[in-house]
Amino acid sequence: MPSEIVEEYLEAIFKLGSEGRDVGLSRLAEHLKVTPASVSETVRRMEAQGLVRYQGRGRGRGPAADSRSGGGHRHGRPSDDEPQSLRKGVTLTAKGERLARTLVRRHRLSERFLTDMLGMDWEKAHQEACKLEHALSPETEGRLADLLGNPDTCPHGHPIPDADGRIRERKLKKLSECGEDERGCIDRVEEEEPQMLQYLSSLGLLPEVEVEVKEVAPFNGPLLVKAGGAQYALGREVASKIWLRKK
Amino acid sequence: MKEFEEVSRLRERTDHLIALIGNPNVGKSTLFNRLTGMGVLTANYPGMTVGVNLGETEFAGERIGVLDLPGTYALGAVSEDQLVARRGILEAAPDVVVIILDATNLARNLYLLLQVLDLEVPAVAALNLVDEAERQGTRTDLEQLYELLGIPVVATVATRGDGLDRLMKEALELAHSPREFFPVPFYYAADIEKHVREIAAEAGRSGIKIPYGVPSRALALLLLERDEEFTGLVRGREEASGLLALVERKREEIRREHGNDAAVVIARERYGIAGSIVEAVQQRGRGEKASWGERMWEYTTDPRSGLLILAAVLVAVFAALFFGGDLLARLFGELWATLAAGPLERAVRALLGEGVLGTAVKWGLVDGVEAALSVAVPYVFTFYIILALLEDTGYLNSVAFLTDRVMHHLGLHGRAVIPLITAAGCNVPAVMGTRVLSTRRERIIASTLIVLIPCSARTAVIIGGVSRYAGWGYALLLYLILFLLVTLVGLTLNRLLPGEPSGLVMEVFPFRRPAAITVLKKTWVRFKDFVFVATPIMLGGSFLLGLLYGSGWVFKLEAPLRPVMEWWLGIPAVAGLALIFAFLRKELALQLLVVFATGTATASIGGFMAPRQIFIFALVNAVYIPCAATFAVLWKEMGWRVTLAVSAATVLLALLMGGLANLVS
Repeated sequence: MPSEIVEEYLEAIFKLGSEGRDVGLSRLAEHLKVTPASVSETVRRMEAQGLVRYQGRGRGRGPAADSRSGGGHRHGRPSDDEPQSLRKGVTLTAKGERLARTLVRRHRLSERFLTDMLGMDWEKAHQEACKLEHALSPETEGRLADLLGNPDTCPHGHPIPDADGRIRERKLKKLSECGEDERGCIDRVEEEEPQMLQYLSSLGLLPEVEVEVKEVAPFNGPLLVKAGGAQYALGREVASKIWLRKK
Repeated sequence: MKEFEEVSRLRERTDHLIALIGNPNVGKSTLFNRLTGMGVLTANYPGMTVGVNLGETEFAGERIGVLDLPGTYALGAVSEDQLVARRGILEAAPDVVVIILDATNLARNLYLLLQVLDLEVPAVAALNLVDEAERQGTRTDLEQLYELLGIPVVATVATRGDGLDRLMKEALELAHSPREFFPVPFYYAADIEKHVREIAAEAGRSGIKIPYGVPSRALALLLLERDEEFTGLVRGREEASGLLALVERKREEIRREHGNDAAVVIARERYGIAGSIVEAVQQRGRGEKASWGERMWEYTTDPRSGLLILAAVLVAVFAALFFGGDLLARLFGELWATLAAGPLERAVRALLGEGVLGTAVKWGLVDGVEAALSVAVPYVFTFYIILALLEDTGYLNSVAFLTDRVMHHLGLHGRAVIPLITAAGCNVPAVMGTRVLSTRRERIIASTLIVLIPCSARTAVIIGGVSRYAGWGYALLLYLILFLLVTLVGLTLNRLLPGEPSGLVMEVFPFRRPAAITVLKKTWVRFKDFVFVATPIMLGGSFLLGLLYGSGWVFKLEAPLRPVMEWWLGIPAVAGLALIFAFLRKELALQLLVVFATGTATASIGGFMAPRQIFIFALVNAVYIPCAATFAVLWKEMGWRVTLAVSAATVLLALLMGGLANLVS
């Protein structure tokens, strides 16, 4: 059984990794609020335990850039879709990944419990869950899940892995690839241009908003999309930044 | 406040100042026009082209100044509309903000209302388009809406003027007792509010001067959203470094917690509140069958019928310009000639004689005004009416949708169609209109293309010169060549300039019947801008020409032009002179040609220039260097580099094409 510190690391690497970016030591240090020196020490220990792999700077550069520009995979596409070894920085081994998913499941279940059952606010629930996740036994975890009715997501909307550590795959599709009359829920909007993101937000083209494609102009023309009470013409390149979750 | 003098003056001569704000197309302008009638002023912030309309009205014996802020979806800094609307509230500090809500799309409209309330300004809501909403089967519980918002809410139908009296009454009441304004406070998610409180406290501690004196909560929200203007204003100050560092930490934290940018998270919170309000106050109907307006949208955006309609509309626009403009041109020309020109000319001659100065003044005053009346005014005015009609029916939206893909090849998106069409009227407002485009790259491409699009002055040369003396076939060929040129230049620039075209995002409205008063007002406001920019240059330019002509210097310039004009372009050197002076006003090219023709005693252009020469002349005139007014506005909008580069490139292009035409023909 790994130590609580190692568990925190596993969780952090899993979370940062599933954002689709490389997990460097400095990012990890920043996220865990510890010094880079102690990160490097712990990572080495974890490597020895067969939980992570570490690729330092300068190796595997080209392919890593590819996996980044792929974008669009926060939780929709599980990160094991990607060849992990091609990533730069710290990556989880199969064993590490399994452990991490269990922890994430316990954390998110605890959050649900604290907010839904005990009425705690999100911030507080998150802090408490950080402590609880390390203490739950598989049995408590199972009963908690049953009590909560096996929820899919935590209060923040992140997916809760199932008992086998699988994240129920949700079908994500770029809005630009949808045909007429297709509908779905916006899962996320890629954030390359903050101005565009803010503008789309003010129009109500936000995550969790339902949209319907009304018209698709031929020859790669724009899409006419219905959202809220209004219709918007969106150019292809804008629509390709919007990920839809199909029902 | 100095930069916004019109508003302060309006404030001084009225008892109260109210500002109208609302989403685009909610009937805000209709409401404004209903309230204020025809006497409208526009005020522009320095460096901004989106104007604020000012009007006055009287209610219950009090004079009320009304600001019509640009239609906007949000009070951010993302577009110029948003910035101007926000400044209209923060800087002009109206006594009451009247926010106009669209009952058919209440949630998105409440989003703006929540932003207004975050700024803690006294506000009254007008729920407009209630008739439209009822037709769709949506009823709104006003009592409940008032309960939830805590601000006065009045149902209105602006097109009929329903509810306006009550609206004004509520607004005035609030203006009289601003202290009795108790909106329901809205809170976002607990963790966001906690971050906001911390940032607000830090802002207070740091002792920075808070931009526009907004409440510290609003400042904290704006900084969290990374609002460009506010972040920029705060960043300049040394004492703010701690504050900005805190904001960055909080943004990171929010991203970690919510998995999204803080701006998105806050927007989601606002939409969450707006959505729950709508749920409480509205019963949504099923929505009726496709209306006339929606069917029109379908026809106009369908690739087959849409292109046909577009072609038909363009033909109609040119026909209207051709006939309508021509009619007005003759009318104004005749009127001026018979009523004013004669006496004025005699007066000038009597006062200044027939010397150099007399000639110059006569050219500037008499001929300059006549040129303005017979070329600029009729064509530009006609064009603006057409433009307002196209805009107000919603047809330009369809065109933007239809042409988005094509425009993409030129490095632009669908919305750029609007300034490009404007350019056919006058390049000056078109260059200003490129502000609807979001990136500098797009603005450079669009401005360059605009300069190449024949404005009404060049159209006057083409129609009045080429079509008249060389036949309409030549005129058509010329338009075709210019069209190809614009396309080629767009394709090339899109290849050459670094970067990518950005995307189209535009709300689409069903077609509507335009209101005559709004169309006229819009036309007038734009036309006035044109007159103020262009007329001084026209008169000054004519004066200068008169000076050169009267002193005889003009013909001394002829000799050095000979090689280029006669050998390379194959046109008389004197026509080259006309081209050079046409920098001042493009239609001068034709007028000077007439004058020179008279001077060489051939009486008409046809007498000393062959059709092909007139064609080359008009081609060069259409392409080479933007006119002085366009040059000036380009300089102001895009900087000297772009202006000089575009000018040099167009001169080269014009010479190249003119020379080629000379070789081929």
